[in-house]
Amino acid sequence: MAGQLTPDTTTPAASPLTAERRPARTPAPLLVRAGLVLLKRAALLAALLALVFVTVELLPGDAAKATSERGETAADLAARRELLGLDRPVLERFWDWMTGLPTGDLGTSARGEKVTDLVSGAFPNTLLLGGIALLLTAVLSLTLGCWAALRPGSRLDRAVSGTATAVLALPEFVLAVALVLVLSLWTGWLPAVTLTDAGGSPASWDMLVLPVLALTVPQVGWNTRIVRAALADEARAPHVETAVLDGLPPRRILTHHVLPGALPAIAAGLATSTGMLLGGAVAVETIFNYPGIGSVLASAVTDRDSPVIAGVTALTGAVITGMLLLADLVRYLLTGGRR
Amino acid sequence: MSAAALLAACGGGSGDESAGSASGGSAKPRRGGTLRVGALGRAGAITRDPHGTQSNESDYLILSLVYDTLTVPGAKPNTLPRLAASWKPSADLRTWRFTLAKGARFHDGSPVTAEDVVFSLKRLRATPSGASRLPGIQAKNITAEGTDTVVLVSDYANAELPLLTRLTTFVVPEGTTDKDIAKAPGTGPFKLDWFRSGNARLVRNDDWYGGEVHLDAIEVKIFESPQAMANALLAGQIDVASNAGAVAARTAASRKDIQTVRRPNDMAMPLVMRTADGPFADPRVREALRLAVDREAMVKQVLSGYGTVANDILGTGDPAYDKNVPQRTRDLAKARKLLEEAGFDTARTYELFTTEDMAGLAESATLLASQLREAGVKIKVVKQESAVFWDKTWLKGDLYTTYWGTNDSVVFFASKTMVSDSGQNEAGWKDSAFDKSYEKAIGTADTARRTELLQQLQQIEYDRSGYLLWGMADGIDLAGSRVRGLPTLPGYGRVQLESAWLAS
Repeated sequence: MAGQLTPDTTTPAASPLTAERRPARTPAPLLVRAGLVLLKRAALLAALLALVFVTVELLPGDAAKATSERGETAADLAARRELLGLDRPVLERFWDWMTGLPTGDLGTSARGEKVTDLVSGAFPNTLLLGGIALLLTAVLSLTLGCWAALRPGSRLDRAVSGTATAVLALPEFVLAVALVLVLSLWTGWLPAVTLTDAGGSPASWDMLVLPVLALTVPQVGWNTRIVRAALADEARAPHVETAVLDGLPPRRILTHHVLPGALPAIAAGLATSTGMLLGGAVAVETIFNYPGIGSVLASAVTDRDSPVIAGVTALTGAVITGMLLLADLVRYLLTGGRR
Repeated sequence: MSAAALLAACGGGSGDESAGSASGGSAKPRRGGTLRVGALGRAGAITRDPHGTQSNESDYLILSLVYDTLTVPGAKPNTLPRLAASWKPSADLRTWRFTLAKGARFHDGSPVTAEDVVFSLKRLRATPSGASRLPGIQAKNITAEGTDTVVLVSDYANAELPLLTRLTTFVVPEGTTDKDIAKAPGTGPFKLDWFRSGNARLVRNDDWYGGEVHLDAIEVKIFESPQAMANALLAGQIDVASNAGAVAARTAASRKDIQTVRRPNDMAMPLVMRTADGPFADPRVREALRLAVDREAMVKQVLSGYGTVANDILGTGDPAYDKNVPQRTRDLAKARKLLEEAGFDTARTYELFTTEDMAGLAESATLLASQLREAGVKIKVVKQESAVFWDKTWLKGDLYTTYWGTNDSVVFFASKTMVSDSGQNEAGWKDSAFDKSYEKAIGTADTARRTELLQQLQQIEYDRSGYLLWGMADGIDLAGSRVRGLPTLPGYGRVQLESAWLAS
C-alpha cells in the first residue's frame, strides 16, 4: 500500500526546478513555469492511476470474488462481475473512471458505496493528522538543527545528531505501540485510540496526540539531519565567512546569512517527508484506529477495489504534488533571481 | 463431553431469554445508559445495504439492531421467532407459512405488512448471492397471504427451512429503491440516529414489538484491528469489544475490571482432506490423520485454551448434535498401521494450504503439520494470500484449512458442504448413504424421528467425511464491569444486544 505512495516521493529528482537544472538566467514568468510543472506532474499522476488499474487487474482474484459470499456459483459471480462492470476491458474501465474525475466523481466501490463518501470523511482526517505532524516536524527539526549548528562539534551537536539518526530509523508502528502502552494504558494520560463523532472527525483533540507523535518523531530525526547538514554546507559559503570576519553575532549570522541559503534544501526535505508521513499514516492509523485514508486504502487493496484505490491514490498524489510544487517555489523564489 | 456441558450452560428459559446471556442474569435490568460497542470492520468495505455482502462485523451489527429478520438464532431450539411470530409447514414440508408479529411497525410508524416482507425477501433473492442465501426458494415462490402471512414454497421438502431465514432476511418497506436503502426505516429494537464512516449511534425504539429494550442508546465504533479495539476497552473508551479474540482476552485476563464473555461453538477451523481423488481419497488415510492429531494440544496452543475439543462432526452447537459418538483421541500406532494398509506414500512431502483470514488459522496448520509428522506424514505448510486461496485452493486443493462461523446446525453443513451436489463441497465428497440420510432427515416432520436420522448422518460424517475437526473456538467478547446481559450465542448470535443493560 505504502508502495504506491513511494514513486511520488522520488519525483524531486525528475523535477525541472531542482538543483540539476537551475532556472535560466532570465527567469520565465513564474506562473507559466509552475503551470508547466503542474501539467507534467498531472500527467505523471494519470500514468500512476492507469498503473493502479492495471496492477489490480494483474493481482490474483478480482473485486467480484473478493466481495462475494462463500458459495456463490459461477453464474452468481458472473452476474456480480457484470454488476461491477468487471466484464469490460481494464483500460475501458480506467477511462470511464478518469472521465468522471474532473467532475469530482470517483466512481463506486465494489460494495456499492460512492467512493467520494468513503474518502470524504477519511481524507480530511489524514490531512489533519499529516498536517499537524508536518508542522511539528518543521518547527522541531529547524529548532534542533539550528541549535546544534550554533555549536558545531560540541557535545550537544553530537547528541542531537546521534539521537536524530537513532529515531529516524525507528519504524512508526514500534513507536506507536510503545506510546500507547506508556502514555495510555499504564499512565492513563491519553486516549488509546481515536473515536469519531457524528461528523466523522476525532471526538476530542487529545486523541490526536499519540498518532501525531508516532508520525512526527521519525520525521524529526530525518529532517533535523537535513537541516544540520544544509546549515553546515551553507556555513562554508564565502558570504558567511565574510559575515563571521565582520564580527557579527553567531545568532544573527545564522538567521540572516546561513538559513536563507539553506532553506531550499530544508524545504525539499520537508516536502519529501509529506510522502513519508502519508505512507506512515497507513500503519499508524491502524494502530490508533484513526479514521483516515490508510484504513480505506488497506481494505480496498484486499478487495481489489480499483475505483477506491485509484481515488485514494489520486487524492494523495495531488497533495504530494502540491507540496513538492510548494518546495520548488520556495527554492525558485530564494535562488532564482540571485544565482 | 465438554460440548454437553456447554450446551447445558446455554439452554433453558423461553422466548428471548433462551438466547442465553452472560453475567447478572438474575438481577433486574436497569433502564438507561449508552453502551459503546467496538466491532471489527474495514473502512473501505463499508456497506449500508441490509441485503448486501456484509464483510464488516460492525456493519452487520448496526443492520441487525435497526432491521429485523424473520427468525433469529437461539440456543435450544436454534431458531427463535422475531418478525415472524410463528410458522407452520404443510404436510409435505415444502410450503411454509410465516405469521408476522402483532404490532410490528417500522421506525416511521407504518405497520409491517406481508407485502413488505415479500418485497424484502425477493430483493434478497435477487442479489448475486440470493440463491445461496435462500436455497431452494425461487422468487416466484415468495408470496403474501393477507396482511400478516408470508408463504414460502421450497423446491424440495425441508424440515429446517425456518433456519434459513435467520441471518439475512432483513425487512425494509416495500418499494425501497437501491438509492434510498441506507435511509430505509427498520423495525428493530434500535433506531438509527446517525451513521458516519462505519460508526453509528442507535437509540432505543420504545415501540418495539419484541419486548422491553433497556439501553437508551448503542454507539457502534468500527475497528480495523482487534488490538486497537482491545486497547480502547482497556483504556475505558468503549464498554464492549465484540469478537475481540483469544489474544486480546489473554491481554485482558489480568484486569479485574474487564469481563471475558465466552461464546462456545463460535468458529470451526477444520482441515479439509480431498476425498474425490488425490492422496487422501482412501478413507483409511483420512482416518489415520484424524487419529494422529492431538486435539487437546491444538485447543491449548492454537486457541490459547479458549475453545473445546471436537469430534470431526460439524455443527457442534446444534441441539441435535450427537454427543454419544465416542470421542476420537490420539492413537499414533493405529494411524501408522492404517497408513501402511492404505499404501500411503510416506516418502513424499504434502502441501497444506492455509491463510491468515482468521486468527489462529495459520497456526493451526503449522501445529497440525508437526503433529502429523509424528505419524509419519510429512507436511509443508503453504500460506496463501486470502484472494489467492479462495480463487485457487478452496474446493480444489487436496489438503487445506477452512473456517465456518455458523456452527449451530448439523443440517447447515450437510446441505452446504457435504451432500454430493452441494455448491461448496469442500472435500469433493460423494457418499450415497450420507445423501440418503440427509434427504430423509430434512423430509421428516417428526422431531424425534428426525433427530434419529440426523444421528445416522453424523455417524457417517464421523466415519468417512473429508473433514478433520479438531476443536471449536470460543467467540470472545470483552466487556467493562458494568455491562450485563450480553449474548452468549455463537456466531452472529453475538449481535443480539437488545437485552443488554448497564448496571449503575
